[in-house]
Amino acid sequence: MTDAITVHDALLRFGETAALESVSVSIPQGTCFGIVGESGSGKTTLMRAVLGLQRLDAGEIHILGTPLQQGRAALRQRARIVQPIFQDPAASLSPRSRIRTLMNEVGTVLNEPRAATHERLLVILKRLGLPESVIDKYPHEISGGQARRVAIARALLMKPSILIADEPTAGLDVSVQGDLLNLLQDIRRAQNITLVVISHNLAVVRLIAENAVVMRAGRVVEIGEVGALFGAPREAYTKELLAAWPRVTHAASA
Amino acid sequence: MAISLRNLSVDYNLPIGTAHALRDVSLDIQKGEMLGLVGESGSGKSTVAFALMGLLANNARVTSGTATIEGRQFDLTRHNATASLRGRGMAMIFQDPMLSLNPVFTIGAQLIEVLRRRAPGGDRKTRIAQAEDALAKVKLSNPKQRMDQYPHELSGGMRQRVVIAMALLSEPALLIADEPTTALDVTVEAQIMREIIGLRDRIGCAVLLITHSLGLVTEHCDRISVLYAGERLESGSVRDVQRQPGHPYTRMLFDCEVPIDRERHADATQNRFTVIAGELPDPRRRPPGCIFSGRCDVSFEDCAKLVPGDYPVAGNVEHGARCLRLVTP
Repeated sequence: MTDAITVHDALLRFGETAALESVSVSIPQGTCFGIVGESGSGKTTLMRAVLGLQRLDAGEIHILGTPLQQGRAALRQRARIVQPIFQDPAASLSPRSRIRTLMNEVGTVLNEPRAATHERLLVILKRLGLPESVIDKYPHEISGGQARRVAIARALLMKPSILIADEPTAGLDVSVQGDLLNLLQDIRRAQNITLVVISHNLAVVRLIAENAVVMRAGRVVEIGEVGALFGAPREAYTKELLAAWPRVTHAASA
Repeated sequence: MAISLRNLSVDYNLPIGTAHALRDVSLDIQKGEMLGLVGESGSGKSTVAFALMGLLANNARVTSGTATIEGRQFDLTRHNATASLRGRGMAMIFQDPMLSLNPVFTIGAQLIEVLRRRAPGGDRKTRIAQAEDALAKVKLSNPKQRMDQYPHELSGGMRQRVVIAMALLSEPALLIADEPTTALDVTVEAQIMREIIGLRDRIGCAVLLITHSLGLVTEHCDRISVLYAGERLESGSVRDVQRQPGHPYTRMLFDCEVPIDRERHADATQNRFTVIAGELPDPRRRPPGCIFSGRCDVSFEDCAKLVPGDYPVAGNVEHGARCLRLVTP
Protein backbone atom coordinates (compact mmCIF):
# COMPACT_ATOMS: atom_id res chain seq x y z
CA MET A 1 0.00 0.00 0.00
CA THR A 2 1.17 3.53 -0.73
CA ASP A 3 2.27 5.49 2.29
CA ALA A 4 0.00 8.27 3.49
CA ILE A 5 2.87 10.73 3.63
CA THR A 6 6.45 10.43 2.47
CA VAL A 7 9.03 13.13 2.93
CA HIS A 8 12.29 12.57 1.13
CA ASP A 9 15.46 14.50 1.94
CA ALA A 10 13.67 17.72 2.87
CA LEU A 11 15.75 20.86 3.18
CA LEU A 12 14.47 24.22 4.33
CA ARG A 13 16.45 27.22 5.46
CA PHE A 14 15.37 30.40 7.18
CA GLY A 15 18.37 32.58 6.44
CA GLU A 16 21.33 30.97 8.16
CA THR A 17 19.38 28.44 10.20
CA ALA A 18 18.35 25.13 8.73
CA ALA A 19 14.77 24.53 9.84
CA LEU A 20 14.79 21.14 8.11
CA GLU A 21 17.85 19.31 6.89
CA SER A 22 17.90 15.91 5.17
CA VAL A 23 14.61 14.93 6.78
CA SER A 24 13.12 11.72 5.44
CA VAL A 25 9.98 10.25 6.94
CA SER A 26 7.37 7.84 5.69
CA ILE A 27 4.04 7.35 7.37
CA PRO A 28 1.99 4.25 6.51
CA GLN A 29 -1.74 4.64 5.91
CA GLY A 30 -4.11 4.10 8.80
CA THR A 31 -1.44 4.36 11.48
CA CYS A 32 -0.67 6.93 14.11
CA PHE A 33 2.68 8.63 13.78
CA GLY A 34 4.32 10.82 16.41
CA ILE A 35 6.73 13.69 15.84
CA VAL A 36 8.57 14.64 19.03
CA GLY A 37 11.23 17.21 19.76
CA GLU A 38 11.88 20.38 21.72
CA SER A 39 11.15 23.91 20.58
CA GLY A 40 13.04 24.78 17.43
CA SER A 41 13.42 21.15 16.41
CA GLY A 42 11.41 21.67 13.22
CA LYS A 43 8.31 19.65 14.14
CA THR A 44 5.83 22.35 13.20
CA THR A 45 7.84 23.37 10.12
CA LEU A 46 7.64 19.79 8.89
CA MET A 47 3.87 19.86 9.38
CA ARG A 48 3.58 23.14 7.50
CA ALA A 49 5.65 21.75 4.65
CA VAL A 50 3.41 18.69 4.39
CA LEU A 51 0.36 20.95 4.34
CA GLY A 52 1.95 22.95 1.53
CA LEU A 53 2.08 26.07 3.68
CA GLN A 54 5.85 26.18 3.58
CA ARG A 55 7.82 25.61 0.39
CA LEU A 56 10.88 23.37 0.69
CA ASP A 57 14.25 24.48 -0.68
CA ALA A 58 14.95 20.93 -1.76
CA GLY A 59 13.46 17.50 -1.31
CA GLU A 60 10.17 15.85 -2.12
CA ILE A 61 6.88 15.31 -0.36
CA HIS A 62 4.27 12.81 -1.54
CA ILE A 63 0.75 12.62 -0.15
CA LEU A 64 -0.83 9.23 -0.91
CA GLY A 65 1.71 8.79 -3.67
CA THR A 66 1.00 12.13 -5.34
CA PRO A 67 3.78 14.72 -5.38
CA LEU A 68 2.95 17.85 -3.42
CA GLN A 69 2.26 20.80 -5.68
CA GLN A 70 2.06 24.48 -4.91
CA GLY A 71 -0.75 26.75 -6.01
CA ARG A 72 -4.30 27.43 -4.95
CA ALA A 73 -5.95 24.65 -6.95
CA ALA A 74 -3.57 22.03 -5.55
CA LEU A 75 -4.06 23.37 -2.03
CA ARG A 76 -7.83 23.05 -2.39
CA GLN A 77 -7.50 19.55 -3.71
CA ARG A 78 -5.21 18.60 -0.86
CA ALA A 79 -7.57 20.03 1.77
CA ARG A 80 -9.89 17.11 1.09
CA ILE A 81 -7.14 14.67 2.00
CA VAL A 82 -5.01 16.33 4.72
CA GLN A 83 -6.49 18.40 7.52
CA PRO A 84 -4.58 20.19 10.27
CA ILE A 85 -5.52 20.91 13.86
CA PHE A 86 -3.33 23.81 14.85
CA GLN A 87 -1.67 24.26 18.20
CA ASP A 88 -3.78 27.20 19.31
CA PRO A 89 -7.32 26.32 18.24
CA ALA A 90 -8.74 29.58 19.52
CA ALA A 91 -6.39 31.48 17.23
CA SER A 92 -7.47 29.43 14.23
CA LEU A 93 -11.11 30.37 14.75
CA SER A 94 -12.08 33.80 13.47
CA PRO A 95 -13.14 35.90 16.46
CA ARG A 96 -15.67 37.80 14.37
CA SER A 97 -17.74 34.94 13.04
CA ARG A 98 -19.89 32.33 14.70
CA ILE A 99 -18.82 28.69 14.62
CA ARG A 100 -21.69 28.10 12.17
CA THR A 101 -20.11 30.38 9.54
CA LEU A 102 -16.83 28.52 9.81
CA MET A 103 -18.52 25.17 9.34
CA ASN A 104 -20.55 26.41 6.36
CA GLU A 105 -17.32 27.28 4.59
CA VAL A 106 -16.48 23.60 4.56
CA GLY A 107 -19.66 22.99 2.56
CA THR A 108 -18.63 25.66 0.10
CA VAL A 109 -15.20 24.10 -0.38
CA LEU A 110 -16.67 20.63 -0.82
CA ASN A 111 -19.46 21.92 -3.09
CA GLU A 112 -21.97 20.25 -0.86
CA PRO A 113 -25.55 21.43 -0.18
CA ARG A 114 -25.73 23.27 3.13
CA ALA A 115 -28.31 20.90 4.59
CA ALA A 116 -26.08 17.89 3.95
CA THR A 117 -23.08 19.56 5.60
CA HIS A 118 -25.22 20.48 8.57
CA GLU A 119 -26.48 16.95 8.96
CA ARG A 120 -22.95 15.54 8.95
CA LEU A 121 -21.90 18.26 11.37
CA LEU A 122 -24.54 17.26 13.89
CA VAL A 123 -23.27 13.69 13.84
CA ILE A 124 -19.68 14.85 14.36
CA LEU A 125 -20.61 17.25 17.19
CA LYS A 126 -22.40 14.46 18.98
CA ARG A 127 -19.40 12.23 18.50
CA LEU A 128 -17.12 14.88 20.02
CA GLY A 129 -19.46 15.49 22.93
CA LEU A 130 -20.20 19.08 21.91
CA PRO A 131 -23.68 20.55 22.43
CA GLU A 132 -25.50 21.55 19.24
CA SER A 133 -25.82 25.08 20.59
CA VAL A 134 -22.07 25.56 20.13
CA ILE A 135 -22.53 26.42 16.45
CA ASP A 136 -24.33 29.64 17.32
CA LYS A 137 -21.54 30.81 19.60
CA TYR A 138 -18.55 33.03 18.98
CA PRO A 139 -15.08 31.61 19.73
CA HIS A 140 -14.68 33.77 22.86
CA GLU A 141 -17.82 32.26 24.34
CA ILE A 142 -16.44 28.73 24.50
CA SER A 143 -13.75 27.16 26.70
CA GLY A 144 -10.28 26.13 25.53
CA GLY A 145 -11.20 22.45 25.51
CA GLN A 146 -14.32 23.18 23.50
CA ALA A 147 -12.40 25.33 21.01
CA ARG A 148 -10.08 22.39 20.41
CA ARG A 149 -13.06 20.12 19.79
CA VAL A 150 -14.53 22.66 17.40
CA ALA A 151 -11.24 22.69 15.48
CA ILE A 152 -11.35 18.89 15.31
CA ALA A 153 -14.99 18.96 14.21
CA ARG A 154 -14.12 21.36 11.40
CA ALA A 155 -11.22 19.17 10.29
CA LEU A 156 -13.37 16.02 10.33
CA LEU A 157 -16.14 17.74 8.39
CA MET A 158 -13.72 17.88 5.45
CA LYS A 159 -13.71 14.04 5.43
CA PRO A 160 -9.91 13.87 5.43
CA SER A 161 -7.95 10.64 5.28
CA ILE A 162 -4.99 12.23 7.07
CA LEU A 163 -5.27 14.33 10.21
CA ILE A 164 -2.27 16.26 11.54
CA ALA A 165 -2.59 17.49 15.13
CA ASP A 166 0.00 19.98 16.39
CA GLU A 167 0.31 19.74 20.20
CA PRO A 168 -3.32 18.62 20.64
CA THR A 169 -3.17 18.76 24.44
CA ALA A 170 -1.09 21.91 24.97
CA GLY A 171 -2.69 24.08 27.63
CA LEU A 172 -5.16 21.44 28.76
CA ASP A 173 -5.31 20.10 32.30
CA VAL A 174 -4.28 16.48 32.87
CA SER A 175 -7.82 15.58 33.90
CA VAL A 176 -9.19 16.56 30.50
CA GLN A 177 -6.29 15.93 28.12
CA GLY A 178 -6.91 12.18 28.26
CA ASP A 179 -10.44 12.70 27.06
CA LEU A 180 -9.22 14.42 23.91
CA LEU A 181 -6.53 11.83 23.22
CA ASN A 182 -9.00 8.98 23.66
CA LEU A 183 -11.30 10.75 21.24
CA LEU A 184 -8.57 11.15 18.60
CA GLN A 185 -7.73 7.47 18.91
CA ASP A 186 -11.37 6.43 18.55
CA ILE A 187 -11.94 8.60 15.51
CA ARG A 188 -8.81 7.33 13.87
CA ARG A 189 -9.85 3.71 14.33
CA ALA A 190 -13.50 4.21 13.40
CA GLN A 191 -12.73 6.09 10.20
CA ASN A 192 -9.39 4.56 9.37
CA ILE A 193 -7.66 7.93 9.36
CA THR A 194 -3.91 8.36 9.36
CA LEU A 195 -3.15 10.43 12.44
CA VAL A 196 0.02 12.47 12.82
CA VAL A 197 0.57 13.83 16.33
CA ILE A 198 3.19 16.51 16.91
CA SER A 199 4.03 16.79 20.58
CA HIS A 200 6.72 17.51 23.10
CA ASN A 201 4.97 15.08 25.43
CA LEU A 202 6.93 11.87 24.99
CA ALA A 203 4.72 9.82 27.31
CA VAL A 204 1.63 10.62 25.27
CA VAL A 205 3.30 9.84 21.95
CA ARG A 206 4.62 6.58 23.29
CA LEU A 207 1.10 5.48 24.08
CA ILE A 208 -0.87 6.58 21.05
CA ALA A 209 1.55 6.27 18.14
CA GLU A 210 2.84 3.13 16.44
CA ASN A 211 5.87 4.88 15.00
CA ALA A 212 7.60 8.10 15.86
CA VAL A 213 10.46 10.36 14.94
CA VAL A 214 12.64 12.33 17.34
CA MET A 215 13.80 15.61 15.86
CA ARG A 216 16.40 18.12 16.93
CA ALA A 217 17.49 21.35 15.27
CA GLY A 218 15.79 20.43 11.99
CA ARG A 219 17.28 16.96 11.76
CA VAL A 220 16.00 13.47 12.38
CA VAL A 221 17.71 12.07 15.46
CA GLU A 222 16.01 8.71 15.58
CA ILE A 223 13.02 7.14 13.91
CA GLY A 224 11.18 3.89 14.36
CA GLU A 225 8.59 1.84 16.18
CA VAL A 226 7.74 3.41 19.57
CA GLY A 227 8.47 0.31 21.63
CA ALA A 228 12.07 0.22 20.44
CA LEU A 229 12.45 3.99 20.24
CA PHE A 230 11.47 4.63 23.86
CA GLY A 231 12.34 1.24 25.30
CA ALA A 232 15.85 1.00 23.89
CA PRO A 233 16.87 4.35 22.37
CA ARG A 234 20.08 4.24 20.38
CA GLU A 235 20.87 7.96 20.24
CA ALA A 236 22.24 9.92 23.19
CA TYR A 237 19.77 12.74 22.60
CA THR A 238 16.74 10.43 22.80
CA LYS A 239 18.11 9.04 26.05
CA GLU A 240 18.64 12.55 27.39
CA LEU A 241 15.06 13.52 26.52
CA LEU A 242 13.69 10.45 28.26
CA ALA A 243 15.85 10.97 31.32
CA ALA A 244 14.79 14.61 31.66
CA TRP A 245 11.13 13.63 31.75
CA PRO A 246 9.78 14.12 35.27
CA ARG A 247 8.34 10.84 36.48
CA VAL A 248 5.75 10.25 39.14
CA THR A 249 6.30 6.55 39.49
CA HIS A 250 9.57 5.83 41.22
CA ALA A 251 8.85 6.78 44.81
CA ALA A 252 5.68 4.71 44.72
CA SER A 253 7.55 1.64 43.60
CA ALA A 254 10.45 2.25 45.98
CA MET B 1 12.11 29.98 60.56
CA ALA B 2 8.99 28.45 59.10
CA ILE B 3 6.66 30.29 56.78
CA SER B 4 2.99 29.91 57.48
CA LEU B 5 -0.14 31.04 55.78
CA ARG B 6 -3.44 30.82 57.64
CA ASN B 7 -7.01 30.83 56.34
CA LEU B 8 -6.45 32.71 53.12
CA SER B 9 -9.71 33.55 51.35
CA VAL B 10 -9.82 35.64 48.19
CA ASP B 11 -12.82 36.87 46.19
CA TYR B 12 -12.85 38.27 42.68
CA ASN B 13 -15.52 40.74 41.69
CA LEU B 14 -16.62 39.81 38.19
CA PRO B 15 -19.42 41.25 36.04
CA ILE B 16 -21.24 37.94 36.52
CA GLY B 17 -20.99 38.02 40.32
CA THR B 18 -18.46 37.39 43.07
CA ALA B 19 -16.18 34.41 42.45
CA HIS B 20 -14.64 32.81 45.53
CA ALA B 21 -11.17 31.92 44.25
CA LEU B 22 -9.78 30.69 47.58
CA ARG B 23 -11.52 29.52 50.74
CA ASP B 24 -9.56 29.18 53.98
CA VAL B 25 -6.35 27.90 52.48
CA SER B 26 -3.49 27.29 54.93
CA LEU B 27 0.08 26.29 54.13
CA ASP B 28 3.26 25.69 56.11
CA ILE B 29 6.75 25.58 54.68
CA GLN B 30 9.84 24.87 56.74
CA LYS B 31 13.10 26.65 56.06
CA GLY B 32 15.11 24.85 53.39
CA GLU B 33 12.07 22.93 52.27
CA MET B 34 10.19 22.97 48.99
CA LEU B 35 6.41 22.75 49.04
CA GLY B 36 4.64 21.82 45.82
CA LEU B 37 1.25 23.45 45.45
CA VAL B 38 -0.56 21.47 42.77
CA GLY B 39 -3.82 22.23 41.11
CA GLU B 40 -5.48 22.46 37.75
CA SER B 41 -6.54 25.68 36.04
CA GLY B 42 -9.09 27.51 38.14
CA SER B 43 -7.91 25.94 41.38
CA GLY B 44 -6.60 29.28 42.64
CA LYS B 45 -2.94 28.27 42.94
CA SER B 46 -1.60 31.46 41.38
CA THR B 47 -3.97 33.52 43.52
CA VAL B 48 -2.12 32.18 46.58
CA ALA B 49 1.15 33.54 45.20
CA PHE B 50 -0.34 36.87 44.19
CA ALA B 51 -2.02 37.34 47.58
CA LEU B 52 1.30 36.70 49.35
CA MET B 53 3.21 39.06 47.10
CA GLY B 54 0.50 41.71 47.09
CA LEU B 55 0.08 41.45 43.33
CA LEU B 56 -3.64 40.75 43.18
CA ALA B 57 -5.68 42.47 40.50
CA ASN B 58 -7.86 45.43 41.42
CA ASN B 59 -11.04 43.39 41.41
CA ALA B 60 -9.67 40.95 44.00
CA ARG B 61 -10.32 41.22 47.71
CA VAL B 62 -8.62 39.24 50.47
CA THR B 63 -11.43 38.50 52.93
CA SER B 64 -9.28 36.64 55.45
CA GLY B 65 -5.72 35.46 55.89
CA THR B 66 -2.54 36.03 57.84
CA ALA B 67 1.01 35.18 56.88
CA THR B 68 3.95 34.64 59.17
CA ILE B 69 7.27 35.24 57.47
CA GLU B 70 10.59 35.54 59.30
CA GLY B 71 8.74 35.73 62.62
CA ARG B 72 6.66 38.71 61.56
CA GLN B 73 2.91 38.55 61.15
CA PHE B 74 1.14 40.13 58.20
CA ASP B 75 -2.57 40.72 57.95
CA LEU B 76 -3.16 39.97 54.28
CA THR B 77 -6.58 41.67 54.23
CA ARG B 78 -4.74 44.99 54.48
CA HIS B 79 -3.71 46.72 51.30
CA ASN B 80 -0.06 46.06 50.38
CA ALA B 81 0.44 44.11 53.60
CA THR B 82 3.71 42.50 52.55
CA ALA B 83 5.20 45.49 50.68
CA SER B 84 8.17 45.67 53.03
CA LEU B 85 9.12 42.10 52.16
CA ARG B 86 9.12 42.42 48.38
CA GLY B 87 12.65 42.21 47.07
CA ARG B 88 14.02 41.52 50.58
CA GLY B 89 12.09 38.79 52.36
CA MET B 90 10.25 37.39 49.37
CA ALA B 91 11.11 36.79 45.75
CA MET B 92 9.07 35.38 42.94
CA ILE B 93 9.84 33.54 39.71
CA PHE B 94 7.08 33.79 37.14
CA GLN B 95 6.16 31.49 34.27
CA ASP B 96 7.21 34.02 31.66
CA PRO B 97 10.65 35.43 32.54
CA MET B 98 10.26 38.12 29.89
CA LEU B 99 7.51 39.65 32.01
CA SER B 100 9.69 39.91 35.10
CA LEU B 101 12.60 41.46 33.23
CA ASN B 102 12.47 45.01 31.97
CA PRO B 103 13.12 44.97 28.20
CA VAL B 104 14.83 48.38 28.14
CA PHE B 105 17.47 47.70 30.80
CA THR B 106 20.49 45.44 30.58
CA ILE B 107 20.69 42.28 32.66
CA GLY B 108 23.43 43.88 34.73
CA ALA B 109 21.37 46.99 35.53
CA GLN B 110 18.49 44.84 36.74
CA LEU B 111 20.65 42.65 38.94
CA ILE B 112 22.35 45.67 40.49
CA GLU B 113 18.94 47.21 41.18
CA VAL B 114 18.11 44.19 43.35
CA LEU B 115 21.30 44.65 45.35
CA ARG B 116 20.68 48.34 45.74
CA ARG B 117 17.25 47.65 47.21
CA ARG B 118 18.46 44.92 49.52
CA ALA B 119 21.55 46.66 50.86
CA PRO B 120 21.56 50.40 50.16
CA GLY B 121 24.85 52.17 50.53
CA GLY B 122 27.30 49.69 49.05
CA ASP B 123 29.65 50.60 46.25
CA ARG B 124 29.03 49.91 42.59
CA LYS B 125 32.12 47.78 42.00
CA THR B 126 31.20 45.26 44.68
CA ARG B 127 27.68 45.09 43.31
CA ILE B 128 28.89 44.37 39.80
CA ALA B 129 31.13 41.63 41.14
CA GLN B 130 28.25 40.16 43.16
CA ALA B 131 25.92 40.27 40.16
CA GLU B 132 28.45 38.51 37.92
CA ASP B 133 29.00 35.97 40.63
CA ALA B 134 25.26 35.29 40.84
CA LEU B 135 25.06 34.74 37.07
CA ALA B 136 27.95 32.30 37.30
CA LYS B 137 26.22 30.48 40.15
CA VAL B 138 23.11 29.86 38.05
CA LYS B 139 25.44 28.55 35.32
CA LEU B 140 24.83 31.23 32.75
CA SER B 141 27.68 31.16 30.26
CA ASN B 142 29.95 34.24 29.95
CA PRO B 143 28.53 36.19 32.90
CA LYS B 144 30.67 39.24 32.12
CA GLN B 145 29.22 39.70 28.62
CA ARG B 146 25.69 38.84 29.79
CA MET B 147 25.72 41.84 32.13
CA ASP B 148 25.61 44.17 29.12
CA GLN B 149 23.00 42.22 27.18
CA TYR B 150 19.29 42.92 27.03
CA PRO B 151 16.63 40.32 27.90
CA HIS B 152 15.58 39.86 24.23
CA GLU B 153 19.07 38.66 23.37
CA LEU B 154 18.71 35.62 25.62
CA SER B 155 16.71 32.41 25.19
CA GLY B 156 13.80 31.49 27.47
CA GLY B 157 15.93 29.20 29.63
CA MET B 158 18.70 31.79 29.95
CA ARG B 159 16.18 34.46 30.97
CA GLN B 160 14.76 32.18 33.64
CA ARG B 161 18.32 31.74 34.93
CA VAL B 162 18.69 35.52 35.15
CA VAL B 163 15.46 35.72 37.19
CA ILE B 164 16.80 33.01 39.49
CA ALA B 165 20.03 34.98 39.85
CA MET B 166 17.95 38.01 40.86
CA ALA B 167 16.19 35.90 43.48
CA LEU B 168 19.56 34.63 44.66
CA LEU B 169 20.83 38.18 45.17
CA SER B 170 17.79 39.23 47.16
CA GLU B 171 18.37 36.33 49.59
CA PRO B 172 14.68 35.88 50.38
CA ALA B 173 13.21 33.91 53.26
CA LEU B 174 10.50 32.73 50.90
CA LEU B 175 10.89 32.07 47.19
CA ILE B 176 7.69 31.63 45.21
CA ALA B 177 8.08 29.90 41.85
CA ASP B 178 4.86 30.04 39.82
CA GLU B 179 5.05 27.51 36.97
CA PRO B 180 8.73 28.39 36.45
CA THR B 181 9.33 25.78 33.77
CA THR B 182 6.00 25.55 31.96
CA ALA B 183 7.23 27.54 28.96
CA LEU B 184 10.49 25.59 28.72
CA ASP B 185 11.61 22.35 27.08
CA VAL B 186 12.03 19.26 29.24
CA THR B 187 15.81 19.24 29.17
CA VAL B 188 15.90 22.92 30.13
CA GLU B 189 13.18 22.30 32.73
CA ALA B 190 15.39 19.81 34.53
CA GLN B 191 18.30 22.29 34.55
CA ILE B 192 16.15 25.16 35.86
CA MET B 193 14.75 22.97 38.64
CA ARG B 194 18.32 22.10 39.62
CA GLU B 195 19.15 25.82 39.81
CA ILE B 196 16.11 26.53 42.00
CA ILE B 197 17.13 23.72 44.33
CA GLY B 198 20.71 24.99 44.31
CA LEU B 199 19.47 28.44 45.30
CA ARG B 200 17.36 26.99 48.09
CA ASP B 201 20.28 25.02 49.50
CA ARG B 202 22.64 27.97 49.19
CA ILE B 203 20.53 30.47 51.11
CA GLY B 204 18.33 28.04 53.01
CA CYS B 205 15.05 29.68 52.06
CA ALA B 206 11.61 28.11 51.90
CA VAL B 207 10.31 27.49 48.38
CA LEU B 208 6.70 27.45 47.26
CA LEU B 209 6.55 25.71 43.88
CA ILE B 210 3.25 26.30 42.14
CA THR B 211 2.67 23.86 39.33
CA HIS B 212 0.18 21.66 37.54
CA SER B 213 2.84 18.98 37.03
CA LEU B 214 2.78 16.14 39.56
CA GLY B 215 5.96 14.87 37.99
CA LEU B 216 7.88 17.98 39.03
CA VAL B 217 6.47 17.83 42.56
CA THR B 218 7.24 14.18 43.16
CA GLU B 219 10.72 14.63 41.76
CA HIS B 220 11.77 17.79 43.56
CA CYS B 221 9.48 18.69 46.46
CA ASP B 222 9.49 17.64 50.11
CA ARG B 223 5.83 18.31 50.73
CA ILE B 224 2.75 18.63 48.59
CA SER B 225 -0.55 20.49 48.96
CA VAL B 226 -3.38 19.77 46.56
CA LEU B 227 -5.72 22.58 45.66
CA TYR B 228 -9.09 22.09 43.98
CA ALA B 229 -11.61 24.84 43.17
CA GLY B 230 -10.10 27.14 45.79
CA GLU B 231 -9.87 24.63 48.63
CA ARG B 232 -6.96 22.63 49.94
CA LEU B 233 -8.02 19.00 49.77
CA GLU B 234 -4.85 17.29 50.91
CA SER B 235 -1.38 17.97 52.23
CA GLY B 236 1.48 15.88 53.46
CA SER B 237 4.96 14.71 52.59
CA VAL B 238 5.33 13.79 48.93
CA ARG B 239 6.18 10.26 49.94
CA ASP B 240 3.10 9.74 52.11
CA VAL B 241 0.68 11.36 49.70
CA GLN B 242 2.04 9.38 46.78
CA ARG B 243 1.92 6.11 48.66
CA GLN B 244 -1.54 6.57 50.05
CA PRO B 245 -3.52 9.51 48.67
CA GLY B 246 -6.06 10.48 51.32
CA HIS B 247 -8.37 12.25 48.93
CA PRO B 248 -9.95 10.63 45.85
CA TYR B 249 -9.10 13.75 43.81
CA THR B 250 -5.39 13.31 44.56
CA ARG B 251 -5.58 9.65 43.60
CA MET B 252 -7.39 10.47 40.36
CA LEU B 253 -4.90 13.22 39.56
CA PHE B 254 -2.02 10.76 39.95
CA ASP B 255 -3.88 8.29 37.73
CA CYS B 256 -4.20 10.90 34.97
CA GLU B 257 -0.43 11.32 34.70
CA VAL B 258 0.93 9.32 31.80
CA PRO B 259 4.13 7.64 32.99
CA ILE B 260 6.95 7.80 30.47
CA ASP B 261 7.62 4.10 30.94
CA ARG B 262 4.08 3.00 30.21
CA GLU B 263 4.38 0.77 27.18
CA ARG B 264 2.06 0.82 24.24
CA HIS B 265 -0.30 -2.11 24.06
CA ALA B 266 -0.49 -3.91 20.71
CA ASP B 267 -4.28 -3.81 20.95
CA ALA B 268 -4.96 -0.11 20.36
CA THR B 269 -8.15 -0.14 22.43
CA GLN B 270 -6.00 -0.82 25.52
CA ASN B 271 -4.07 2.42 25.18
CA ARG B 272 -6.61 4.55 27.02
CA PHE B 273 -5.89 7.73 28.91
CA THR B 274 -7.46 8.32 32.32
CA VAL B 275 -9.90 11.20 32.67
CA ILE B 276 -11.67 12.86 35.61
CA ALA B 277 -15.24 13.22 34.38
CA GLY B 278 -17.27 16.33 35.10
CA GLU B 279 -16.44 19.99 35.47
CA LEU B 280 -15.27 22.45 38.09
CA PRO B 281 -18.09 23.76 40.31
CA ASP B 282 -19.34 27.31 39.79
CA PRO B 283 -16.91 29.56 41.76
CA ARG B 284 -19.79 31.90 42.61
CA ARG B 285 -21.96 29.35 44.37
CA ARG B 286 -20.19 26.68 46.37
CA PRO B 287 -22.15 23.43 46.27
CA PRO B 288 -23.01 22.03 49.72
CA GLY B 289 -20.88 19.25 51.18
CA CYS B 290 -17.50 18.24 49.76
CA ILE B 291 -16.38 20.50 46.91
CA PHE B 292 -15.31 17.47 44.87
CA SER B 293 -18.39 15.29 45.51
CA GLY B 294 -19.88 15.91 42.05
CA ARG B 295 -16.88 14.33 40.29
CA CYS B 296 -15.86 11.81 42.91
CA ASP B 297 -15.98 8.09 42.11
CA VAL B 298 -16.42 6.95 45.73
CA SER B 299 -18.83 9.58 47.05
CA PHE B 300 -21.78 8.60 49.21
CA GLU B 301 -24.91 10.33 50.46
CA ASP B 302 -23.28 12.44 53.19
CA CYS B 303 -20.66 13.83 50.81
CA ALA B 304 -23.18 16.18 49.21
CA LYS B 305 -24.40 17.41 52.64
CA LEU B 306 -21.51 17.61 55.10
CA VAL B 307 -18.43 19.74 54.61
CA PRO B 308 -15.52 17.46 55.53
CA GLY B 309 -12.88 18.62 57.99
CA ASP B 310 -9.16 17.99 57.65
CA TYR B 311 -8.65 14.42 58.87
CA PRO B 312 -5.35 12.60 59.39
CA VAL B 313 -4.61 9.89 56.83
CA ALA B 314 -3.63 6.50 58.29
CA GLY B 315 -3.23 8.08 61.72
CA ASN B 316 -0.48 10.38 60.48
CA VAL B 317 -1.03 13.94 61.73
CA GLU B 318 1.48 15.25 59.18
CA HIS B 319 -0.70 13.96 56.35
CA GLY B 320 -4.24 15.29 56.17
CA ALA B 321 -7.08 15.16 53.67
CA ARG B 322 -10.58 16.54 53.57
CA CYS B 323 -12.59 13.43 52.78
CA LEU B 324 -15.45 11.93 54.77
CA ARG B 325 -14.30 8.45 53.78
CA LEU B 326 -11.40 8.86 56.21
CA VAL B 327 -13.76 9.07 59.19
CA THR B 328 -16.46 6.74 57.90
CA PRO B 329 -15.92 3.16 58.94
